Amino acid sequence: MQFLADLAIVGLRVLLSIYAVYIIFECFASMRRQKREEKPLIMLSSSTLRRKIPVLCWENLIGRSKGSDIVIEDPTVSRNHCVLLRRKEGWFVSDLDSKSGTLVNGKEISGRHRVGVGDEIRIGCTTLTVHRGEDFDEEVRHSWFFSRVSRKPSVPSPLLLMMVNIFHLFMAVEICISQNEFNLEAFQVLGAVVLFSWVLFAFSRGVFARSNFELETLAVFLTGTGVMLLVSQDIRDAWIQIIAAFIGAALYMCILMFIKNPDRIVNWRLAVMIGAAALLVINLVFGTVEFGAANRIYIAGVSLQPSELVKIAYIFVGASALDHLQTKRNFIEFLVFSAVCVGALAIMGDFGTALIFFATFIVISITRSGDYKTVILALVGAALASLLVIYFKPYIAERFATWGHALEDSYDTGYQQSGVLTYIASGGLFGTGVGSGVLQYYGASETDLVFGIMAEEMGLIIALSVAVAICALTFSTRELSSRSRSTFYSISACCAASMMLIQTALNVFGCTDLLPLTGVTLPFISAGGSSMVSCFGLLAFIKAADERTYTSTLKKR
Amino acid sequence: MKRTMSRSIIALILAVAFLLGLGFLCYKYVCDSPMWASQTFNAYISSGKGLACAGTIYDRNGTVLAKSENGERVYNEDLSVRLATLHSVGDYSYNIATALQTTHRAELAGHNRIFGYGLPSSLGFSGDMTLTVDSVVCAKVYDAFGGRNGACFVYNYKTGEVLCMVSTPSYDPQNVPEEVPEGAYLNNAISSTYAPGSIFKIITTVAAIEYLPDWENITLNCDGEEDFGGDDVTCLEHHGEMDIYEAFARSCNIAFADLAAQVGAENMQKTAEKLGITESFNICSVNTAKGVYDVKNATLNELAWSGIGQHTDMTNPAQMAILCGAVASEGSAKLPTYIEGVSPKGNAELMSKETADIMAEIMRYTVRDYYGDSMFEGLTVGAKTGTAEVGEGKAPNGWIVGYSEDEDCPLAFAVVVEEGDYGFYSAGPIARIAMTECAKSLRGE
Repeated sequence: MQFLADLAIVGLRVLLSIYAVYIIFECFASMRRQKREEKPLIMLSSSTLRRKIPVLCWENLIGRSKGSDIVIEDPTVSRNHCVLLRRKEGWFVSDLDSKSGTLVNGKEISGRHRVGVGDEIRIGCTTLTVHRGEDFDEEVRHSWFFSRVSRKPSVPSPLLLMMVNIFHLFMAVEICISQNEFNLEAFQVLGAVVLFSWVLFAFSRGVFARSNFELETLAVFLTGTGVMLLVSQDIRDAWIQIIAAFIGAALYMCILMFIKNPDRIVNWRLAVMIGAAALLVINLVFGTVEFGAANRIYIAGVSLQPSELVKIAYIFVGASALDHLQTKRNFIEFLVFSAVCVGALAIMGDFGTALIFFATFIVISITRSGDYKTVILALVGAALASLLVIYFKPYIAERFATWGHALEDSYDTGYQQSGVLTYIASGGLFGTGVGSGVLQYYGASETDLVFGIMAEEMGLIIALSVAVAICALTFSTRELSSRSRSTFYSISACCAASMMLIQTALNVFGCTDLLPLTGVTLPFISAGGSSMVSCFGLLAFIKAADERTYTSTLKKR
Repeated sequence: MKRTMSRSIIALILAVAFLLGLGFLCYKYVCDSPMWASQTFNAYISSGKGLACAGTIYDRNGTVLAKSENGERVYNEDLSVRLATLHSVGDYSYNIATALQTTHRAELAGHNRIFGYGLPSSLGFSGDMTLTVDSVVCAKVYDAFGGRNGACFVYNYKTGEVLCMVSTPSYDPQNVPEEVPEGAYLNNAISSTYAPGSIFKIITTVAAIEYLPDWENITLNCDGEEDFGGDDVTCLEHHGEMDIYEAFARSCNIAFADLAAQVGAENMQKTAEKLGITESFNICSVNTAKGVYDVKNATLNELAWSGIGQHTDMTNPAQMAILCGAVASEGSAKLPTYIEGVSPKGNAELMSKETADIMAEIMRYTVRDYYGDSMFEGLTVGAKTGTAEVGEGKAPNGWIVGYSEDEDCPLAFAVVVEEGDYGFYSAGPIARIAMTECAKSLRGE
């Protein structure tokens, strides 16, 4: 009898691992499906060039340079000549200070000029005529993410969400098994997670009429998993986490509405930048030291980590600093803002977050300008700054002294990392059961070592799947953003996904001693209200990059 | 848009790097997870689960050395066997670094890479393990020590299997005394070093063969004492004139002090290092204690003494057995292993075939014409005894190291008895028991 019961328990764990992999796979697979057919939005034709040009993106750079979306091999055309862009109102063309200027139907334009089907755009000696997208009858090259998508209909969003709920239900069941008694709190928390997921769904589907919910489903999956892991560790933290998820989801909707009009974004850049800097200054002044970093402030008993919110502002500022497509303007401004953020965090002693900002800075710089010189300069600068810090504050270097050989110092400085390795090995591929782990009693394990807790209690397969899911988000985001409605969305989405990935890398590799342990959170999973809110904020940028996010409302009309 | 896309490849590069990192983590998991899981602080084995339901440990004949019954760890019923195998089996604690219950506790407790410790006890397949030692031989050897401290190490230099590994003092793992005898946690066979005395003449002889071109025709003269660098080196007898064979067999101090001086400090140092005296060998994830040979800044007198195993010289029993194994097998011996299924970590290539063959001839000559073959009945043995002064008012350590060249019994051995005085009389009888019993075990008698 005992044997059969034990067999069932182990079987459940094995199935749960397979189930998690399936859910994550299905989130991405469904993201691929339900995609508008890969057809040009409009088409341009040129009698002089004798070719049909499909216009695939919402914002298109027209010019002689090879990096242009529409390359015109005409010596009288400037390298970056003009921009052809689509907005809610229709199509516009805008000159980029070209030598010969841009003419629509024979008249030279200034600023944005609306164009319609049949209009003629003249740049240099080339004339482009605007046609409907349907008139293009050739094959369009697909992005790998959307090519060979099976005809099978995707799992309907409500069903996928319900599967996620069931996964969390099994986690609650496992908690009861581990504790050998019915745990009411586990089911109360589960109820809250289910409520959260369906409120989010109702808003997305009902209020905003968005057709896609896979990205949110993935977020709910990760959030709920993190919350359920907290139940046996610290029930209060679990509730805080759920509340933070609600706040985060609200922020997510707000950001999506706020950045709905890509033309308005640039006007807010300065305000957001000042606001973010002010937050950091407040943090520096009122911050209290905890776990070696003064990165928290207390307002009416509620602890806040301002640096988490600044992450959202950072992506916003970094991606919005473009007045026109891909021109290098405002770069100094962004450079200064980055230096302020990284500097403030370093002073607080929050080197993990400082590193996230710095790495994200590199990604944003490259994505924005393709300017490797600036990046190399920044890297050299950072290296010098680090050397100075180590020279003047040698104790900081000591923190990283155990890196790479934590097990040799497992009772002192390598305590956390060797704990993680030991208990990952103890958990095996399928874990020892949610709530039964040992690692959960380690200090700060709910944030810094959560990857280890996941691996110990749920198994290495689930822990790795979660890491891979966040990584896959980078791949899918880049492909989704190739069809974004604005360059701002593309850049901010790629950078937000990269930021989450960098954070995940620092967390996962930090606690397993492959990188120095810097004490950053694992997105959506780690306990921490501010972190949770910030993750949903970043997710908004990724969602905005999906062409479908804002279009379904139009379809309704 | 095209530019943004081509530049955002940086995000993909990051993602690929991340995946590679995860891959590396998986690789580390596959390679190292048993080591991670066997950390001493691991709550899964230090409490509750742990040895209480760990697997059985057998010896080479299938005798149970330790098993778990009703949540208790039960060791072999014979006290001598328990005492003799303590350093290879272990006790509940982690105090004995070379013991299976320390090094392989995770595996014994049923850890595996797929389920970790995640299997409930009703399903948990505990890991049984088998040692290559013969517990009967070990017990007889333990008894032969008669309360003296020391170590005995016998292994098959062709397969690497350790047949006898005994270290004294020991204690009973079934009833751990409140005060464990001093040094009992140490497996002297692997983890201790001793002044070698005359057994070091093997190294000096190898150096002479390799560095003195006319070594065969050298005539050495012993007058009982001789001045080296202003101070005397003394010998127990007046040996008169002799060649290297004779000098080795009679263990003449003056002759070997002279040889060491002729070879020179640099070449002596090189030889000792090449023969692995200053190295550590890996035996079943445990490293042997490194010996000492240091004549870099030695005076002529110190160099002379170092050639006969005094000065600062130190050697380790397992290491000496490996060296003898190499002498017996053309210069390259299999490294030892004492766990069945754990293959030896390669070979110890210590000397050329030519040197090894000459050395074997000299050691064989020593037993045949001086110690007498009756010492190791039924075996063809080459050996060297040693009596090492340790100072501090203590009696000298007695040593014997050697090998048997029989096809069916390719054994190398090292025995050391602390304060045993003459090696021939203290370590010799223990080696005799160890070798003849091991031979019986191998020959199935």
